[in-house]
Amino acid sequence: MSETFVSADPNETFSMLEGMLNASAPRIRSTDVAPVFQIRGLDASYGSKKVLHDVSFDVPEKRITAFIGPSGCGKSTVLRCFNRMNDEISGFRSEGTIHLADQDIRAKGVNVTALRRTVGMVFQQPNPFPMSIYDNIAMAVREHDGRVPRAKVDGIVEKALRQASLWDEVKDNLKDSALSLSGGQQQRLCIARALAVNPSVIMLDEPCASLDPISTARIEELLLALSTDYTIIIVTHNMAQAKRISDRVAFFLMGRLVELGDALQVFEAPKRNETAEYVRGSFG
Amino acid sequence: MSDMSIKGRPHPASVVGTTFAWVAAALVATVCFFIIGFLVYQGSGAINWTFLTTDPQASLMAEQAGGIRVPFVGTAILILGSILVAFPLAIGAAVYLAEYMADDSWFTRTVRLGLEVLASVPSVVFGVFGLSVFTFSIFQGLSAQGAQGADTAFGRSFIVASIVMGIHILPFIIKVAEEAIRSVPKSLRQGALALGMTKWRTIRRVVLPSASPGIVTAVVLGMGLAAGDTAIVWLTLGGSINMAVDNWWNPSQWVEVLRGTGATLTTYVYFNSPAGEGNAPGMAFGAALVLIVLVLAFNLIAVYVGRRSANAGRR
Repeated sequence: MSETFVSADPNETFSMLEGMLNASAPRIRSTDVAPVFQIRGLDASYGSKKVLHDVSFDVPEKRITAFIGPSGCGKSTVLRCFNRMNDEISGFRSEGTIHLADQDIRAKGVNVTALRRTVGMVFQQPNPFPMSIYDNIAMAVREHDGRVPRAKVDGIVEKALRQASLWDEVKDNLKDSALSLSGGQQQRLCIARALAVNPSVIMLDEPCASLDPISTARIEELLLALSTDYTIIIVTHNMAQAKRISDRVAFFLMGRLVELGDALQVFEAPKRNETAEYVRGSFG
Repeated sequence: MSDMSIKGRPHPASVVGTTFAWVAAALVATVCFFIIGFLVYQGSGAINWTFLTTDPQASLMAEQAGGIRVPFVGTAILILGSILVAFPLAIGAAVYLAEYMADDSWFTRTVRLGLEVLASVPSVVFGVFGLSVFTFSIFQGLSAQGAQGADTAFGRSFIVASIVMGIHILPFIIKVAEEAIRSVPKSLRQGALALGMTKWRTIRRVVLPSASPGIVTAVVLGMGLAAGDTAIVWLTLGGSINMAVDNWWNPSQWVEVLRGTGATLTTYVYFNSPAGEGNAPGMAFGAALVLIVLVLAFNLIAVYVGRRSANAGRR
């Protein structure tokens, strides 16, 4: 299961890795841009267990927002409110408003199918469907647009794989099973799959938790590239990762949004004690 | 702890238990291979080209008793017919049980109880039940023969036998198919839902294709069961060694074939055994050997498909 770009020569691999890490050294982008999501007074509970308390914040457009915090702090729950994946869990309830482009996505009559196309999601474990690489993407496309001409599907598949920087590795094996790919490649395929249905937001729930450092570096590089065209929200346990790629950081603790700010500020000069302790690694 | 010993004999009870388990396993394997070996010894002499390609004749003379062509075709028709009846119902029920049911609802419990009961009913009960139901006059269209002027249906035909056999194999197919559907990882369902697919489309396009090797296994096991059952055939297909229609290979006769009586390998074996009327045990063993090869082939296919699915995609 090795990434194809890894050279047999360890020195070459190392310098390549070093180059990639340098490329993603701290960049400063203003987060004073129009919001994609506006969350106000969001409460949520599973059964009688309250998991979110009065969460309010904005997610800036075409920036990378990282949700950080210890396990069980509610960051994944917030993420799953954005594409209403929590609807699938019986006993889940929420209050408050979440506006996406001036529409409350919690309202009745919202087309959940359309919402989930606009707000794509990538999971912790790569979950390609057990079919060919091509079909993984083509199925998502055909699902929404019905009878799409073959040539058009081919074009969309290629574009999505190029965007996910996977095309060069798989272009000759599109008919191979997606399960034959390495973990990192599978995760990039899942990103391509989400991109193929024209989202404006891509959410990733600890996308690198099961990946090796080289695959992780490739995903980070990819997210930085994508963030010029897409709004990206990433849940991560990895402080270094949040530092490397995020523009804005939301720190959650026990179901509350404790601190929200630009990445540099949250990591270098946190305003709250809890945040300072968490980013320093005192708990979590 | 210095006197802790790691030497010594195993406890006697352990030796007895291990030996018993070994002997039991060896005995089971021996019985199985003895039956197959016995069948090969007794039956292989009867099998030749003529045996496979001629139709049975009601004769006490072995050289005039013909072969198993029509019963073989009958077994094939019954397998296909019962799968046609059982497959849609079984997949629907398996999808419901695996994907839609709330574990504690009374409806789910009722369905599960019904399946348990269905699975434990002996097939001869299905046979009697089928025969009594399908002789209602409203079912006259399903079976051709009947006494002139009778106001009941004849109640014995390939259609009737397929329906009854389909119900008999239903719970077994549902059980295996439900397991196959349940074993599809949750992450795949989430991935599909997150792409904006509806629940039904997720099941149809992602879950069922992923479960298809297991579903094929379920169907093949069902086919083996249908091939092997005798009681249902004897009661609802008619105690015959031939088909009601002579030129069954002619497509214009196929509707009549399905509405008519017939024979399968199992009823042929019964007929020719010392318990039946033909009294040609050699031919019964020959047909039994063909039948067991057929059922073994189905089981091997099921194992092969299952194994392939376990390795699917991993190179």
